[in-house]
This record gives sequence, structure tokens and C-alpha cells, in this order.
Amino acid sequence: MSIMEYNGGSVIAMVGKDCVAIASDLRLGNQALGISSNFQKVFPVTDRIYVGLAGLGTDVITLRERFRYRVNMYTIKEEREIEPETFAHLVSSTLYEHRFGPYFIEPVVAGLSKTPSGGLKPFIAATDLIGCINFAKDFVVSGTASSKLFGLAEGLWEPDLEPEDLFETISQTLLNAVDRDAYSGWGAVVHVLTKDKIISRTLKGRMD
Amino acid sequence: MLMPDIAMAPHTLPTQHQFNPYTENGGTILAIAGADFSVIAGDTRQSEGYNIQTRYAPKVFRLTDRAVLAVNGFAADGNMFVKKVKQRLEWYRHAHGKDMPLRAIARLIQTMLYARRFFPYYVYNILGGIEEDGTGAVYSFDPVGSYEREACRAAGAAQSLVQPFLDNQIYFKNQTAPPDSAHPTHLPLPTVLSIVIDSFTSATERHIEVGDGLEMYIVLARGRNLAGLEGITGMQELTTTQDGERVFVVRRELKKD
Amino acid sequence: METSFAITGKGYVIIAADTTAARSIVKMKIDEDKIKTLSPHLLMAYSGEPGDTLQFAEYVERNIRLYQIRNLYPLRPAAAASWIRRTLADSLRSRSPYQVNLLVGGYDEATHSPSLHWIDYLGTSVEVPFGAHGYGSYFALSLLDRYHNPEASLEEGLDTLRRCINEVSKRLVVSPGKYKVKVVDKDGTREVEL
Repeated sequence: MSIMEYNGGSVIAMVGKDCVAIASDLRLGNQALGISSNFQKVFPVTDRIYVGLAGLGTDVITLRERFRYRVNMYTIKEEREIEPETFAHLVSSTLYEHRFGPYFIEPVVAGLSKTPSGGLKPFIAATDLIGCINFAKDFVVSGTASSKLFGLAEGLWEPDLEPEDLFETISQTLLNAVDRDAYSGWGAVVHVLTKDKIISRTLKGRMD
Repeated sequence: MLMPDIAMAPHTLPTQHQFNPYTENGGTILAIAGADFSVIAGDTRQSEGYNIQTRYAPKVFRLTDRAVLAVNGFAADGNMFVKKVKQRLEWYRHAHGKDMPLRAIARLIQTMLYARRFFPYYVYNILGGIEEDGTGAVYSFDPVGSYEREACRAAGAAQSLVQPFLDNQIYFKNQTAPPDSAHPTHLPLPTVLSIVIDSFTSATERHIEVGDGLEMYIVLARGRNLAGLEGITGMQELTTTQDGERVFVVRRELKKD
Repeated sequence: METSFAITGKGYVIIAADTTAARSIVKMKIDEDKIKTLSPHLLMAYSGEPGDTLQFAEYVERNIRLYQIRNLYPLRPAAAASWIRRTLADSLRSRSPYQVNLLVGGYDEATHSPSLHWIDYLGTSVEVPFGAHGYGSYFALSLLDRYHNPEASLEEGLDTLRRCINEVSKRLVVSPGKYKVKVVDKDGTREVEL
């Protein structure tokens, strides 16, 4: 019995052309028994950053609250919103603080960061449960269906996808991956962040 | 004189050595059935842990002009198993003066695997080829002989990466067909070959045990023309008889890192 | 074995918990009340390690009461569930964690809607339309998938609960004998006879 697989669940984030997408399933279980089909794992951090938390259910909630607290403190002290890169490091150091008694979560960060010229640049990152960051340029995955997500994303993803095409790509990747994972699924939610709006959709998926 | 022995007892406890007759040699295999053809593919890397033993160890074998077997798992068992299947097929040829039909080979493999139920061949088998009715077929097996006929199957180290991709691209899972049209039940040969190549390049990218080379065997039904194979470079024909099914092999390089 | 269920319906939450207190193979007591009334519109069913359960339930009960005395208004169900969850989550990483599983059901007077939270000893909390703990959950949850109706009247809700209890009695080897059933709605909390 692995703690990381006790509640199940998966998260993925992808980069597109001037946009990013992040998606997760909605299952919460006790090993094989499904408890809820509406357990959120992806949360807004600022207007331009989302974080996805796959792993132990209790730590999903605890870390979400902890990140909200730390981001609020940052915003008050700095008198500005946190940037995605900075937030990724905040996630990393929060997890590394518990190096020898970790939170059983592997977070995924997706956001649009400001460039010096005033534009927006897509940003994604993922860390392991003790905060080692992976700044990928294409996509990052996490959770019990991670190997399946890797296989699909590697096959479906391509550079410079427009928001609607990115939505289709991340949705197909997630849906087909969780359908082959007993611990993930039971519905899904997708967020696509663009420079002028955030598209959030709940997907209809297999409920078995 | 008894005392020293007792005092030393904790230090001289006999150490137990256990011989493990199995290893796992990595790699991935995959097969897809078309309406009148079948594609059976496998990478050629053979590894043990982090060591690459060889960059070219075939996992896919031509059994007859209409049957190709892919074997993945413990390589020594796999090679031995293929050898024994080939021997049984030769005996059949001598006894009956013809090649064994595909569905019969599938049942033979099940019997041979189950015969070793309590000391199994540590291998996953995928059998591809052409049935007697001329349709493309894929049979997949577990190590002790459970089997079923399917349209496509991936097995081995990167099964978890490839199978859901195949669900999406071959079975069109989670895709809705445009209004008043349906998804095709069988895909054309060029499409299938592209999906196979994409599957292996993806698996090579993300799995350390997959890579080096790719071997794709293509079995065409009796009388089928070569349509769909025009653009394929470096194709080699392995057919041994006239006017029957035809077998081809296509080799491609995969990343070696 | 210990079993508890909870069902939401049109303007109410029903919570049921078995009434046996067992030690090993011996039934010590068959009329134990394992559902606490935390505030006028809040119920909590608790189960788990004997000792921990009552200790934790009373700790929660007193703190919820304290909040009401200090602020002159009670915590709303979601806020209460959040505080309870945090208490369990902190306890999990302490020297001796509470091993208590909860169903927190309440009627939110601000939104005039029922709310039910499923919480386990790890501090996993999720709002659900229906929930269960213990071996009974393996039977009840699939039944509730089929029969639960968020628009059901109280009588229909109690019928659904009866289905769950009957199924558990029929199929579970170590099924509990009696249940205590409580309801919370706009009029507050009360016990009902099945």
C-alpha cells in the first residue's frame, strides 16, 4: 500500500501558443473504493497562476491552504502579485521544509508570466514530493496515471497550439490516460489560461 | 569444547542463497490488425536493469507466411518459447502438408503456456497475422496462456504509455464521430504504420528500456495488393510461398540514449 | 463492525450510526449514541478507535460551542468541517494521532441548503451528496449511487436509508443490530425512529 496511491488522482499541465492548460480528474477514493466524484485538485493561485495537487487527499487540502496563506503574505509584503516562476520556488521550498516527513503531494504549476516587454509567456513546472523542480517546456504530469499521461502527451502534444486546440489535446490526453487507471477518473476538469481570459470546463468522462 | 561453538553461533549462522531463475529484459511490443493486414512491431533493445546488453535483439519473429509472433519479458524464455513454437509448427507442416491456421497457432500457444502453469515462461506474447477468412487478426496472451483476439494490443515495459494512446487512436476512445458518420472499424495500412512509429518514438522518449531499433512486420492477406506500402523505404519481403499471404519487415532507427 | 451513513435531501441531512460498542468479539453496549449535536444546525457521526472517538468528539463539541459563545453566532457547516479537518490533519502528524472518522452534516441557515462532509482520520475532507464509513460503506455507497435523490422528501430519504440498513444487515457478516438516526433541517436537529 503506497501512500501516494491511497486516494488516487492525476494532474497534467501543457504549454500552448501564448497560453497554458492545466487539468485533473475528480476522483477521491479509499484505495479501490470510490468516495467522491467531485474532489478538486486544481486551484487558482492568482488570476494568472493555477496549481494542481496530486497525491494524498488530506495533503491536497492542507497544502492548498498553506499556499494560499503564503501567497497572501507575499502579496501583502511585496505589494504585487506573485509571478509563476517565484510561485514554483515557493512550492519547492514549502515542500523541502518537510524533507524528512514530507507532504505526499507532487504539485504541478501552470501560469502566464510577465516578460520585460510587457507580454505574457507560458510557464509550467512540476516538483516531486520534496520539492525538486522540473521546468519542462512542453508538458508535466503527476499522479497515479502519470505513466499513461506521459505516453499520451508524448504522442498527442505539439508546439504552438492555439487555446482551443490545446484544450482538445489536454482533454484527450487526460481522459484516455485516466480510463486506463483504476485510481483516477470519475470526471475531469480543464482550465486554459490565455492573455485575456480563462476557459474552465468540466468534462464528461467514463464513470467506471 | 562445546562452549565456543555455542558462543559463536550467532556469527556462523548459515547464509541462504536463493537462485532466481527469472530476469526482466525490458522492451516493448505492439500489434494492430487491419481489415486485410496485420502489423506486428517491437523495439530491439535488450537490457537488464540499467545495462544495455545489446541494441539489436529481435523480439518479433516470422512463424509462417501468415503468422508473426512478438515475445516480450524474460528474453531467454522468449527465445526458447519461439523455438518450441516453431518446432511444433514444423511438425504440423510435416504431418498435414500445410501451414497451421492462425487461430490454431493461438490455441497451440495457449496450451504450451499453460503446460508450464507452475514454472511459467516469463513472457507476454502477441500473435499477429491473417485468419483463414482473410481478415487481419491480433491475439494477445498473458504468461500462463489466457488469450483473446483483439484489434490492437501493446505489451512490455512501455505498455502503460502505449496502450491508452492506442485506445485513443485505434478505437477512437473519448472521440465523437462527426454527425451522420461513424468511426472506421479498421484503419488503412499507412495510418497504422504511422501510429506504430509514433507509439515507439513516444515510448523511446519517456522510457529508458525502449529504443535503439524498431522492427515492424507486415502481413498482407492473400491477393491483397501492395497499396499503402509505396512510400515505405527499406522494406524487405520474407514470404516463402507463392500466391499466399505475404510477410514484409520494415526496420527503423530509434533514439539510442 | 462500526458503520455510519449520511444522506442529504431536499432541505435536510439524515445521519445514521450503529449503536454497538464492541471490544474484540464482545459487544459491551448496544445503545451507544455515536452522533453528537455540535450546534443547533450541525450533527457529527464519529467512529474509529474507541477512546479516541469520544475524546475527539467532545473536544470538537466544546470548541464549536466556544466559538458560538465568543462570536454570538455558530460556525456554518462548511467552516465547522474545515476546522475539524484541520484539527485531524494536524493530529495526524503528531506523536499520537486521533483515529476518528466523521460525517459532519448540517443545515446552512445562510444559504438555506443542507451540507454534508465526509472526513476520515487522515484529515481528508470532501463535500458529498451522501457518504458512509466502515464496512457498511461497501454496500451502502453503491445503493446510494442508484437510489439517492437530492430532491427527495424526508420520508423518501428515510426509505433510502432503510434500504441501506437492510442491505448491510442482509449481506455483512459482522453487521450491527441497531442504528440511531438523526435529522438536521431548518428546524434544527432531532432524533427520528426508523
